[in-house]
Amino acid sequence: MNDQQRITRLQEARLDSDSWKEWYRLTPLERMRESMKLWRFYLEAGGSLDPEPDSQSPFDAVMPHGTPPAYRRSGLRVVRRSGV
Amino acid sequence: MVRHLLIGGQACVLYGAAEFSRDCDLIILADDTNLQNLNAALADLRADCIAVPEFKAEYLHRGHAVHFRCQHPDVAGLRIDIMSKLRGCDPFEQLWQRRTTIEDSENNAIYEVVAIEDLVCAKKTQRDKDWPMIRRLVEAHYDLNQDAPNEAMVLFWLRESRTSSMLAELVHRFPDSVAGVDFERPWLKSLDVTNLGQIEQLLRAEEDAQRQADRGYWQPLKEELERLRMNRPRPT
Repeated sequence: MNDQQRITRLQEARLDSDSWKEWYRLTPLERMRESMKLWRFYLEAGGSLDPEPDSQSPFDAVMPHGTPPAYRRSGLRVVRRSGV
Repeated sequence: MVRHLLIGGQACVLYGAAEFSRDCDLIILADDTNLQNLNAALADLRADCIAVPEFKAEYLHRGHAVHFRCQHPDVAGLRIDIMSKLRGCDPFEQLWQRRTTIEDSENNAIYEVVAIEDLVCAKKTQRDKDWPMIRRLVEAHYDLNQDAPNEAMVLFWLRESRTSSMLAELVHRFPDSVAGVDFERPWLKSLDVTNLGQIEQLLRAEEDAQRQADRGYWQPLKEELERLRMNRPRPT
């Protein structure tokens, strides 16, 4: 294997999915706008801005974790569960 | 005007990683004038401190984060976490000198963002979720700049890449630059670029050491937080 082939193989191994390549190649503001769309959807779907419990965070013990997550809103209920 | 820099999830997104963050993390200059300006800005946002410690310079200087939640209708519920120092990173003034400024003309906004090398440094924590983020940040930077890099970029990639195949590629492409990161990664100079498993092991050992250092850094601060939490006045 020559040098160029080796580099090409390493590059292929590194960029393991097209979606990451597409994301990297957006401009910073395009990424920010995409992120804001997700943020708006999350809030419209009833998502909470409370911190998630995170046992590895130094702040976990002092942060409020009061609001239940969206899927526990009163209008939503689980109608089927997986086996695990 | 509050002198601040965006860190955390939004900064990661701007630099090419992808993190869904529920808050806004800022590092600020904790001098009297800036803290007064920050106080005024927080009042405009109707932001309340929601956890210990309370908003005092002494806590910021010691390395604590102060946590706020906004009540202004435009940003209702938004949490803002504020710090003035980050483990292993330079003081604010130096971070400010290296910052990235991004102008959003559509929203008439300016984002002052901590430099990518400082963001990577700040992400070397004890938390699992921060390490894949570092990997993506460095990969994104390499993807953007690999065709025309300068020496500072090459050294940044060699020093901070957490992707075994990318690191092998870098050592192969830039063998003369490896000596420039001998202090941080002495093992690079004898790296077998065909042995990705070994590179993974070396990266894991590096990560474990940083996680341990972060736990040691936070231990006394966590103890202080616990004391503050136990002693805070209860609502009557």
